[in-house]
Amino acid sequence: MAALSPRGTATSDARAQLAEIDESCRGSVLLFFLSGMAWLLAGSVFALIASYKLHAPDFLGDFAWLTFGRIRTAHLNAVIYGFSAEISVGVILWMMCRLCRVPLMAQSVINLAALLWNFGLTIGIIGILAGDTTGVEYLELPKYCTPILFLAFALIAVWTIVIFRFRREKHLYVSQWYILAAVLWFPWLYSTAQLLLIMDPARGAVQAAVNWWFAHNVLGLWFTPVGLASIYYFLPKVIGRPIHSYYLSVLGFWTLALFYNWNGFHHLVGGPFPAWMITISIVASVMMVIPVVATAINHHFTMVGHFGKMRHSPTLRFIFIGAIAYTASSLQGVLSSVRWFSETAHFTHHTVAHAHWGMYAFFTMTMFGAMYYILPRITQREWPSDGLISLHFWTTLVGIAMYVLPLSLGGWFQGKAMLDPQIPFLEVVKITLPYLKIRTVSGLLLTLGHVAFFVNIAWLLVRTFGPYRAPEPMILAGVGTGNAPVGK
Amino acid sequence: MGVITFILMGSSLAFPAVALYALWWAGREGQLRHSEKAALLPFDEQEPVGQMTDVVLNRPSAPAGSLKS
Repeated sequence: MAALSPRGTATSDARAQLAEIDESCRGSVLLFFLSGMAWLLAGSVFALIASYKLHAPDFLGDFAWLTFGRIRTAHLNAVIYGFSAEISVGVILWMMCRLCRVPLMAQSVINLAALLWNFGLTIGIIGILAGDTTGVEYLELPKYCTPILFLAFALIAVWTIVIFRFRREKHLYVSQWYILAAVLWFPWLYSTAQLLLIMDPARGAVQAAVNWWFAHNVLGLWFTPVGLASIYYFLPKVIGRPIHSYYLSVLGFWTLALFYNWNGFHHLVGGPFPAWMITISIVASVMMVIPVVATAINHHFTMVGHFGKMRHSPTLRFIFIGAIAYTASSLQGVLSSVRWFSETAHFTHHTVAHAHWGMYAFFTMTMFGAMYYILPRITQREWPSDGLISLHFWTTLVGIAMYVLPLSLGGWFQGKAMLDPQIPFLEVVKITLPYLKIRTVSGLLLTLGHVAFFVNIAWLLVRTFGPYRAPEPMILAGVGTGNAPVGK
Repeated sequence: MGVITFILMGSSLAFPAVALYALWWAGREGQLRHSEKAALLPFDEQEPVGQMTDVVLNRPSAPAGSLKS
């Protein structure tokens, strides 16, 4: 019984320490998670409107603030700076506290950062819908809100380092390497891009070079490290088995740090740039095979013999999909960087599919998995509905597969048609229509999954803070201690 | 442009320097050794190796009273 009930071992130091850490994280992590989920729902609605407009251009055409250029931009910024960034911060804080073996101190600083971030982003999204955008990819938020975002993130970065500084466990786990790098890289990328593109814009083609340096690196040096840190933590933690090769994981980190930041210029293949710039970027992109394959081998051999555990763990299901998607999308990215492939796939829906493969199938699914693990621990309550978990998992899995696979194919056909001078442009547009309609259906599925997840979270919080408090949870102490044949 | 150039040049030099320092620090502190110990860091006495820590769906049967009612 003691193994099944966390309260049954409440006197042990280890349990007390974990409980103290989880308790200390509760308010701040919930703040980031809830606001992140709100942005996800808003971003999903924006995405659905934008997607529908691609095959029904007259839809809501009388509203200036809902025109494609604004609504698609609002979607992108809501899911990148709203959902992805805020969930990342929540996961980072909890993982750092757990791995450093220290409670989250002075939560009010982090809470202030959360409020500042949401305030700045809300102003920015309203500005975008009002038509006030910079027009720079991934940096569309108007410049009056970016100092607020920068200040908020500076607080988060400093506080992450403070947690690390006061750690009780001196040895670092690979997830901490990724997290510390990510919280240093993002402010550097963001401030440099803001200076060179918004505050005092560089001239001519240099703008495009800086833009793609930022746009590619914000995915690869901010969201990718957070996603990989989560996989490296939660995969072993859930199945109860250390990572297959720690050396490989460290090799993966340092090679990512070395090669990734050169990759952005491969988006400029064919552009008015010195050939050596593009070539170096392509070479660095191909070198990314090293960290990607090292990570893939590590994840696979850690999971061998434990695949059945996905039957029981929602965290493992989402993380497993995220890990596979990381390998697949990264290798697709390597292929896309090569000149002959880029000549066809560039400027098509293929690139859009690739972005969603990375940001949704890899990153978002991994974050969902992390949230499924963290939320019951910080609230000390079980997930209320297994049905909603399954609905969330299957709608998002089928939805993203329906999104990525047809659109990758449709984008390729689009690119081939655009290269054929005999095909009028309007015919090229018509070629893409079936794939765009499938994309809208997949967007509906994804949105349904997001709503299911949000309802389950709201239900969990009602059980935590509402008048009815549920009985003790069973999962927190880890069912299956040695004797339970859980999904082997 | 002078100030911005100065900031950018400074940060371009500072960040690789931080990375090199991190690598040097890791080597000095033994962070690149003892990989078996590092691999065990997600685990502790309460959640040790060999214990699955997330059983939510399709729960195996457990003694009466240990599951939620």
